[in-house]
Amino acid sequence: MTSLSAYLSHMLRAEWIRSFFLVKTKPLTKPAYFMDYPIDTGKRCTHCFSCMMICPVPDAISVLMVGETEGEDIWKPVLYQGHCIRCGLCVEICPERVLASGDIIERVRQDSTYMQSTFHILVNEGKCAGCGTCSIACPVNKEIDPILASKGTTTSDEVIMRVKAGVMRVLHEEKCTGCKTCVLHCSYQAMDVARVIECLQYESDDETSATNEGG
Amino acid sequence: MTEIPEAFSFSHTKQPSGGVHDGVVTDVLCPFCGCLCDDIKVTVTAGTITGVENACTLGAQKFLADTGRLPKPIRRDEDGWHEISYDEAIEYCVEILKNANRPLLYGWSSSLTEAQAIGVHIAELIGGVIDSTSTVCHGPSILAIQEVGHPGCTLGQVKNRADVIVYWGANPTDAHPRHMSRYSTYVDAYFMHNSFRDRKIIVVDVRRTATADIADEFLQITPGGDYALASALRAIVRGRDDVVPAEVSGISKVQMMQVAEMLKNAKFGAVFFGLGVAMTRGKYKNVRNAIELVDELNRFTKCTITAMRGHWNVYGSNEVFTWISGYPYGIDYSRGIAYYNPGETTSADLLARREVDAAVIVGSDVGAHFPRACCEHLASIPTVLIDPYPSATTHLSTVQIPTAVNGIDAEPGTAYRMDGIPLQTRQVLPCTTHFTDYEIFSRIYARLKEEKGA
Repeated sequence: MTSLSAYLSHMLRAEWIRSFFLVKTKPLTKPAYFMDYPIDTGKRCTHCFSCMMICPVPDAISVLMVGETEGEDIWKPVLYQGHCIRCGLCVEICPERVLASGDIIERVRQDSTYMQSTFHILVNEGKCAGCGTCSIACPVNKEIDPILASKGTTTSDEVIMRVKAGVMRVLHEEKCTGCKTCVLHCSYQAMDVARVIECLQYESDDETSATNEGG
Repeated sequence: MTEIPEAFSFSHTKQPSGGVHDGVVTDVLCPFCGCLCDDIKVTVTAGTITGVENACTLGAQKFLADTGRLPKPIRRDEDGWHEISYDEAIEYCVEILKNANRPLLYGWSSSLTEAQAIGVHIAELIGGVIDSTSTVCHGPSILAIQEVGHPGCTLGQVKNRADVIVYWGANPTDAHPRHMSRYSTYVDAYFMHNSFRDRKIIVVDVRRTATADIADEFLQITPGGDYALASALRAIVRGRDDVVPAEVSGISKVQMMQVAEMLKNAKFGAVFFGLGVAMTRGKYKNVRNAIELVDELNRFTKCTITAMRGHWNVYGSNEVFTWISGYPYGIDYSRGIAYYNPGETTSADLLARREVDAAVIVGSDVGAHFPRACCEHLASIPTVLIDPYPSATTHLSTVQIPTAVNGIDAEPGTAYRMDGIPLQTRQVLPCTTHFTDYEIFSRIYARLKEEKGA
């Protein structure tokens, strides 16, 4: 009873009532470093598949051909929000700045950072059944050999990989963009793409190029 | 190969025809599974296959590991196996077929349709039973199709149009490795952008197979639960989900509703079913229910159903037998007319009842796959095995006649893909040592006609 009267006497003061109804707190804003799902900046995607390569989550982002204009294909990174963990790596690596989230692009520009990557495709021949799924699903192969994409029949040795003598053979590892489509769709778990990614900073002499790089 | 030739003289060496000694043969038809991939490129160096492109491991091994063929026909007597000539082997075969009361001609799924056709004529001539491997495979599926029809399509339609694909009781990843990369899931569709990203894959199986790993929706049913699940899905599709309990065959109603919705909203659905549906409890009734589910779905969208035929030309055997006799397998000519009653006139039943008194097994390994009682009976009667390679069935046989391998060194002929498309085989290698099954059956038929005075 004593505490209740103490509360009432405290809250019924004119000063308390005034400060309660006329609060001067600043409205909440998202801090600059807050990362939401990446958004499309409208810039032209060159389907280099870097975003798919760097994405740490299976099936969170796919670069798809969404249509065509004046005879030219339009590509876009399509995000699957249920899978995306909002790490922002796709935004950071995209050389064309097609995606944006928080102040990632700004910070990349300020810090003059960039990423360099090399890939190594590993095929476990003991597990591979030569079904050809990886070579047909591969977005780079699809462009090099359209017959492979539409019929499942390899007609070119210019592709990254193809089936020979019943197992997958890697022919042009240097064309691999590390997108991991082959790894995700191999039902035998016979494929692996080792991705070596270095996060580097331009030297001060290179700052001009860094600015260009940053778009 | 349209007419049955006069009797050959089998005493001389076979004249080589077709095939290459050195070079590359393109558009070769794979001689392994029911996919009949017809884009194989085979390299031949000094009469040996040295390279195979586009084929999966199963198909490539058929070409590259083509070793251990029987060089000549063999016959067993008290001292063991002895080589004999083709003429002697064929005479033995004619002798046992001529004198038999209940001869059985079984196998045929690795034979060309041309050879299968002669097989039916032989069965009719001797009043025997002719049966193909579908009797132990998709036989129940054919019974279901006879009951309710077959809303099917070619694999090309699936490839170019299907946006929802169901594999029910089938594991194409292991059994038909190129099915998904050539005919369904991964290959680009003519009528879709980004087809393999847009296609939805539903897998129904009792265990988590390799195919289930890449599925969008996996329904792990309890063994034998196919019929109940198909019934539940039919009810949901018909708008009677109120009668469906919370769980059917281990699948929750929520998931069934979701799958039914996916199927109804598909632009083009394609259901592929394997022996997990056709050979589990319920057998042809399971397949009938699955066909009727597809029938229901066609009230909302386009949907088709196709059996995942395993043996190479097994579809051809059903086609050939049907167009000659009216029945797809298990055809009994003992009454002088074609009679068909699965369970009575099918190989396993005939052998288990010990009715058969002479058997010719064509390109099939009965010894490895039939019940023990059937194998015991086969071992106790004159049995001729017509197969290029020694197998478990060799041990049950009295005579084995090796043939050229169809699709490798046999002359070109016709084989049917799992969707009923007839394709022409290619001859890769020249053959001088072995006769084809077509030539052997032509000879047997001609000799039997002479003997019977037909």
